[in-house]
Amino acid sequence: MDYLYTIVILVGLYVVLASSFNLVIGYGGLISIAHPIFYAIGAYGSAILARDYGVPIYAAMIIGALIAVAASVLVALPSLRVSGDYLLIASIGFQLGLLEVFKNVSWTGGAGGLTNIPAALIGNTGREGYVLLVVVVAVLSVLLVRAIAHGPYGRALSAMRDDEVAFAALGRNAVALKVGTFALGSGLAGFAGALYAHYFRFLAPEQFEILQSSVILTMVVVGGLRTTWGPVVGAVLLQALPQAITFMNLPPSLLGPLQGLLFTGLVLVFMAVRPQGLVGAGELWSGSKKEVRDGVRP
Amino acid sequence: MLSFDIVAQILWTSFATSSYFVLFALAFALVLKVNRVFNFAQAAMMIASFYAAYSVVALAEGPGWLGFLAALAASVGMALVIELAGFRMLRKRRAAQMFVFIFTLIVSELVAYLAMLIYGTWPSTIFPSLFWPVTLVGPIAISAWDIPAVAVMVACVAALFLFLRFAKVGQFMVAVADNPDLAELYGIAKERIYLATMIAAGVLVAIGMFLYGTRAQVQPTTSIDLMLFAIAATIIGGIGNLWGAAITAVVLGIVQNSSVLFIPSEWQGFLLYVFLFVAIVFLPNGIRLPRRRRMVRKTIIPGFETADAKEA
Repeated sequence: MDYLYTIVILVGLYVVLASSFNLVIGYGGLISIAHPIFYAIGAYGSAILARDYGVPIYAAMIIGALIAVAASVLVALPSLRVSGDYLLIASIGFQLGLLEVFKNVSWTGGAGGLTNIPAALIGNTGREGYVLLVVVVAVLSVLLVRAIAHGPYGRALSAMRDDEVAFAALGRNAVALKVGTFALGSGLAGFAGALYAHYFRFLAPEQFEILQSSVILTMVVVGGLRTTWGPVVGAVLLQALPQAITFMNLPPSLLGPLQGLLFTGLVLVFMAVRPQGLVGAGELWSGSKKEVRDGVRP
Repeated sequence: MLSFDIVAQILWTSFATSSYFVLFALAFALVLKVNRVFNFAQAAMMIASFYAAYSVVALAEGPGWLGFLAALAASVGMALVIELAGFRMLRKRRAAQMFVFIFTLIVSELVAYLAMLIYGTWPSTIFPSLFWPVTLVGPIAISAWDIPAVAVMVACVAALFLFLRFAKVGQFMVAVADNPDLAELYGIAKERIYLATMIAAGVLVAIGMFLYGTRAQVQPTTSIDLMLFAIAATIIGGIGNLWGAAITAVVLGIVQNSSVLFIPSEWQGFLLYVFLFVAIVFLPNGIRLPRRRRMVRKTIIPGFETADAKEA
């Protein structure tokens, strides 16, 4: 039963991660693959606050998410001021650089990892209560992203994505909208990280490396970018597939690369054959009007 | 206590090791200038070229020159696949920039995972030993690797300069980089030029990776760090400025290697990310040196005086 709970919790957390990443990369059109670092910031922030400073666990989780929000603003603001392209480079640099810090400082447990993280319990409900909490957070995240994407904020995002110059000409602040979207997506990822930390109670820098980036990206691209249910389908499907590989009893040295190959290979296959993903969202491939007008090509 | 000898030694070693950084930065900057793509798939070319050389020299015990040819073939082959099966398809579909980014990143990761599956994650080198015989020139120890590496780097930079200046394809590259549609109107087949640019980048990457693999240990993920270094050099050097990227690569290489004098060695890798962040936040348009005012002889045509002339 514990195994099943673990799977449900992982699926729930990946639904939060994939949906929030979809908000950033899909609806926001912000190119970044550094989502796992905000997941890590939430996880480490909450774990350290609860373990070393005695902050109540649920307060620590919220603070962890807020730290992720602050970090995302720190990355997004200077890079988006220049160009959207730079966000990708800045965020990769931020992800790998911060992981390097996590590996080298003692208060994060270094490369060996952070242990003895206090477990989050909901009264006397045991693991079932925590599973329910994660499922509720996952559902709320999907609904939140859906409400944002289909509301006035989402329409503003769509307008900005389509033609940023026209959007700015109407007096709207594109940078603020982008930074806000990036911060919101990162905050959700940070909260997912906090939930992860207090269930699995062990964190290590390699859990948040580039492999995680391709896992989350695969979930969104395979499920369907810019759709509500695509990332959910992607998260469920791509959490189930690696379990099948796990049952093959392969050594860990083969398992990691094989999972990585599976994820990256699936992204390439879907990009070539079905770019709209399993839950299609129409004309995704076309560049924005600005890109077409300016003749920007790959 | 720092002595002149120690500083001179570190500076020399740093300069010599920056030779491959220059080649990676030039390859990245060239593709960005002509093809207008942030080619993160350059990491895939690096992995392919290193493991091709490693397979021939370290595993099959072949000669070094054969290993280099294998690296060249693998890197150029990978460049061709990326251009023909990837970029060309994306251009035809008028894909948004986001998909191009995703494509290049995913290709890099796919090739890294493939290398992990085949070769494992242990660090490897092309030759069994990384130690090269050393000659003392005054107080500085110069290894047998240093001079050929620097010579190869200088030769490559000179060859690229001459190629872009005097070769027909090189001139077409400059034209396409300047204005692809206008270049096409003048009869330049831009698709061929994009392909030629990728091949040129493939050659630079193969040479750089062969140098790197004979000097340092390589893992499948090493290439991502090397690529980030190239990106930092390209941005600080000024996007579109190949020679700026090359000079910046030398400077960054020296700064990173000399950092052992000031910070613990385990933080040396972290400096790369600091460069990257500083480049984006403070130097998004690169370092621009003040231009010399040119002496221009003005011919004033009656009725077409400029504002300056009128004021005068």
